[in-house]
Amino acid sequence: MFEDQEIISTIEMVKNENLDVRAVTLGINLFDCISHDLTVFKKNIRKKIIGHAATLVETCDQVGEKYGIKVVNKRISISPIALVGACFSSEQMVEIAHELNDIAKAVNIDFIGGFSALVEKGIANGDQALIDAIPKALATTQRICASVNVATTKAGINMDAVLAMSRTIKKAAALTADEDGLACAKLCVFSNIPEDMPFMAGAYLGVGQADAVINVGVSGPGVIKRAIERNLSQQHLSLGRIAEIIKRTACKVTRVGELIGREVADILNIRFGVVDLSLAPTPTVGDSVGEIFQALGLTHIGVPGSTAALAMLNDAVKKGGAFASSHVGGLSGAFIPVSEDLNIAEAAQKGFLSIEKLEAMTCVCSVGLDMVAVPGNITEQVLAGIIADEMAIGMINAKTTATRIIPVPGKKAGDSVNFGGLLGKASIMDVPHLDLEDIFVEYGGHIPAPIHSLKN
Amino acid sequence: MNKMIISVLAKDRPGIIASVTSDLCDLGCNLENVNQMILQNQFAGFFIVQAPEGVSAETIRQELTLKEEANGLTIHVRSLEGDTQMPVEEKEIFLITTSGPDQKGLVAQLSDVISSFGANIVNLKAVFMGGSNPNENVMSYQVPVTKEIDAPALFAALKEKAKKLDLDIRIQHKNIFDVTNKI
Repeated sequence: MFEDQEIISTIEMVKNENLDVRAVTLGINLFDCISHDLTVFKKNIRKKIIGHAATLVETCDQVGEKYGIKVVNKRISISPIALVGACFSSEQMVEIAHELNDIAKAVNIDFIGGFSALVEKGIANGDQALIDAIPKALATTQRICASVNVATTKAGINMDAVLAMSRTIKKAAALTADEDGLACAKLCVFSNIPEDMPFMAGAYLGVGQADAVINVGVSGPGVIKRAIERNLSQQHLSLGRIAEIIKRTACKVTRVGELIGREVADILNIRFGVVDLSLAPTPTVGDSVGEIFQALGLTHIGVPGSTAALAMLNDAVKKGGAFASSHVGGLSGAFIPVSEDLNIAEAAQKGFLSIEKLEAMTCVCSVGLDMVAVPGNITEQVLAGIIADEMAIGMINAKTTATRIIPVPGKKAGDSVNFGGLLGKASIMDVPHLDLEDIFVEYGGHIPAPIHSLKN
Repeated sequence: MNKMIISVLAKDRPGIIASVTSDLCDLGCNLENVNQMILQNQFAGFFIVQAPEGVSAETIRQELTLKEEANGLTIHVRSLEGDTQMPVEEKEIFLITTSGPDQKGLVAQLSDVISSFGANIVNLKAVFMGGSNPNENVMSYQVPVTKEIDAPALFAALKEKAKKLDLDIRIQHKNIFDVTNKI
């Protein structure tokens, strides 16, 4: 039998601290669906995805009920469409997006990720068709997520792709101007994209993965925050001790994710992949990464000390996760998505968090510039510059970074924007010099891989 | 085989287990299992022993009572002869935890629901400090759920009963407590 405190603390984690399994993502390999005939290809992918995912939602709900831990999002990631649909034109790629959107509805999942291309070293025909298709595909569907990897530590940064993605983002925003550029909230530009990440919008199934795999993403900012507050209310602790508390708590949270993920995988008779322990917030009070900063004694996320605090937090989360499971993957760290985190959005709105500080913090967080709304009149060059800067951080530091940025048509810094649901709402951030048309990004070509990529 | 279970109740103090086990040794009994708990300063101990062949439970009780006469122990002895081993059933263990305002009969009403579905409570912890602070009135039942038990119906009935009693109820598989508490 468990001690009273063990029972109560577990119940508290679920009841008051918002512990949940953020995402169970079923990865499905579509390489055996390839056909040069679009009709056949669509038929093949429908059959394969529905074949694996027909009972995904029901199974996740049952397992969640059994353990009293809600599985919030059930999602699917697929092989990059730019690869499995390489022979199709951009118009046909849009048709594929519609087919995937219908399949997502049929199996009742909220997002399907993998409308993706990997172009860090060059853009092939299929990649170009997909990139061209992204604006229309995202604007005319609800459940498709797209990602394009434009840089790696090994390959360097494909600046042609960076500029292409800047233009793509602007087009996607324009096509969804009446929804504040919502299409851009479903599009990520990556450096060093992981192949096994369960979180949208970047999730896809890498080419080195199994035919079908269950990856799990756990989120626990509320649990971490409460653990810090509880311990600090009882005694003075040094930051080393606080890091230890975060690590231990992250370990517990990871174990919950793996338990549930493995059971879902067993029931579906699908291989279990990884648990991605990420502190991924929701726009809910008490489920915020930003609130952790306040628990650590900072006025707001973004003030001096924030980068150090985030570095400590991210590292402790990784250490806790690594001890909890031998199958940790994906991003595993702290997300700092602006609109999706009520506290971070508030810090940005009050001026504590600027886009420059946010970029600095992405050097030590697990993702990058995430869900950042910027003025709609930002030039393609400045947007490409922001993306290139973020990619450079990922490339040089051998880590994943991403940019999910939304130039909101017709709106300016300080205006508010509401994307709804988990995507949240925020004020549009001020971007210095947003009307510059510097030609640096227009040179194109490749920023070579750094010297430390020559490991072999 | 001459297996017996001996229960001992007393006001808690140092030396009860030492004294009882020493007595049992003197009586030729071999200890197989011991479990004890203290509730609000009251000691309860359970000893399963192999007694010498031909010695009855009543004999053990009388001799043990005689030896512990001065110590204020309440002793009960029962033979386990004929008690067959429980069949191994496929089961999943759930923890049913309730919290809420204290009132009379909470355990009786919840456990009645559990037993009405043929489910067995293998461990129960209940702490009632009174008042309406839910954290001060917590019950936790550990219940194995076999294939024969209609688990959804049991859980629904428990939730309904808890609602009537103004209790917050959580029904969770034991494994979730294992992974969050046991490394």
